[in-house]
Amino acid sequence: MGILCGNNLNLRPTFLVLNHFDRKLTHADASLKENFSNSVFEFDSTFYLLFDNIDESENPAASNMNTVKDLGEKHKVNFVLYNKIKHDGDRFMLEGQMFNTRSGGLIYRRKIDLTNYLNGQMNELNMWVGNVTGKIDDDWQKKRESILFANPENIKPEKTPMGAALRSLIVPGWGQSYSEKKVSARVWAGTESALSLAVLFNFLKYDEAAKNYLVNLGLYNNTNDEKEVSVYRAQAESDWNDHVFFSELAIAFVGATGTGWVANSIHAWIVGPRAYKNLYQKWDTQLPDSTG
Amino acid sequence: MNTHRGYVLILMGWLLVSSCTIHKKDFDNPVDFKANEEKGIGAPTLVFYPITQTKSLADSIIVGAFIVFKEDSMESFAGVHLQVVFPATFLEFDTVTPGIFITDTLKATPLFTYTFDGTNTVDIFTYFLDTLKTDLIGTGHLANIIFSATSTGNDSIRYNLNSCELIDHNDVVIDLKGDRGAEVIIQ
Repeated sequence: MGILCGNNLNLRPTFLVLNHFDRKLTHADASLKENFSNSVFEFDSTFYLLFDNIDESENPAASNMNTVKDLGEKHKVNFVLYNKIKHDGDRFMLEGQMFNTRSGGLIYRRKIDLTNYLNGQMNELNMWVGNVTGKIDDDWQKKRESILFANPENIKPEKTPMGAALRSLIVPGWGQSYSEKKVSARVWAGTESALSLAVLFNFLKYDEAAKNYLVNLGLYNNTNDEKEVSVYRAQAESDWNDHVFFSELAIAFVGATGTGWVANSIHAWIVGPRAYKNLYQKWDTQLPDSTG
Repeated sequence: MNTHRGYVLILMGWLLVSSCTIHKKDFDNPVDFKANEEKGIGAPTLVFYPITQTKSLADSIIVGAFIVFKEDSMESFAGVHLQVVFPATFLEFDTVTPGIFITDTLKATPLFTYTFDGTNTVDIFTYFLDTLKTDLIGTGHLANIIFSATSTGNDSIRYNLNSCELIDHNDVVIDLKGDRGAEVIIQ
């Protein structure tokens, strides 16, 4: 936690800046001094006050009224700027809050969640502070836009949902695996394998019963011995019933396998890899809740 | 990979089509009383076996005459008169031999005779004359009728049921409920 105290010599609004970074941001104070040269900054590293997550309080705008008033009185400033930077993998989130020291209420808030870029944290901090102090440098905006593709329509994603769907159409679960959905890939592959084995098993049983039926039917037709006729007919009838039963089962399993196969492909498309469009995300400025 | 995909699709299609093939349930052995019953022919029935046969001009045509009873309604009999009518246009009567069913306990040939009218009708008479038993019971082979072919043709050999008779040892007539002919094809 550092304190930057901007004290405008021309009687313009004065700011106390509180920075809370989860990683060390070197030259942050020097950069602010340089970029906002019309202000005077003082640093007090002995201040360790942390604002809690104001969204959890019943009235976020009035959650730190007394603290803000005390800080305003102590540092003789009009406003308090609280800046928080939190990293998450290759992204970082900057949350800025601006408090009025006269009322102690939150009057301006901004959240930015975006992919890290070179000196991105410092650039975003400058943009935020510049926004509230009324000094915006076009270079900061251009620098931010450097993380965007100049011609996004020319981007050809390495992996696509259609690629996943086609792969799953060839081998169930392949598309999910391609999309790095390992669990669903195993589930689909296992399910379709089991159904395919059921199809194969029932088909083989059908085939065996059908062949036996034809054999026994031939024996039945080729004898004039009443006892043999009776025996072969009974066997042939049993085989006929079996071949109908296993045929129906095989067809049912083929239907289930086919339906599952298509569903697996559709599922692969749904969970398929899509370009992460959230490279640059900006929340609208939130005005404090004035009802409280 | 495309080749593998093709194999998989062909295999699946083949399995599907093959699985759809349901064989016709076709039981039509004339010695089978169930098959006769399914065709609306009651028992006892006079039938020929085989029901159809295809021969060449040089072949002998052997047609077996059978009496078929239903399992749960058998009646004892001791004498049989069969009148067989055949297509004389391409068949020539040769002879008649007794069936194995009416041999006696000593495996001897019983009283067995036949008459041929010289055109197309053969009358067969047989009586069961055993010393220990008085009757026969059940489905069995009564006689073999042997023909030779005179030309090619396709027609049926049949019973004249009105003249056929089945009697027990007391000379009581047993009703015959039906008959089935046999088709002969000479090529």
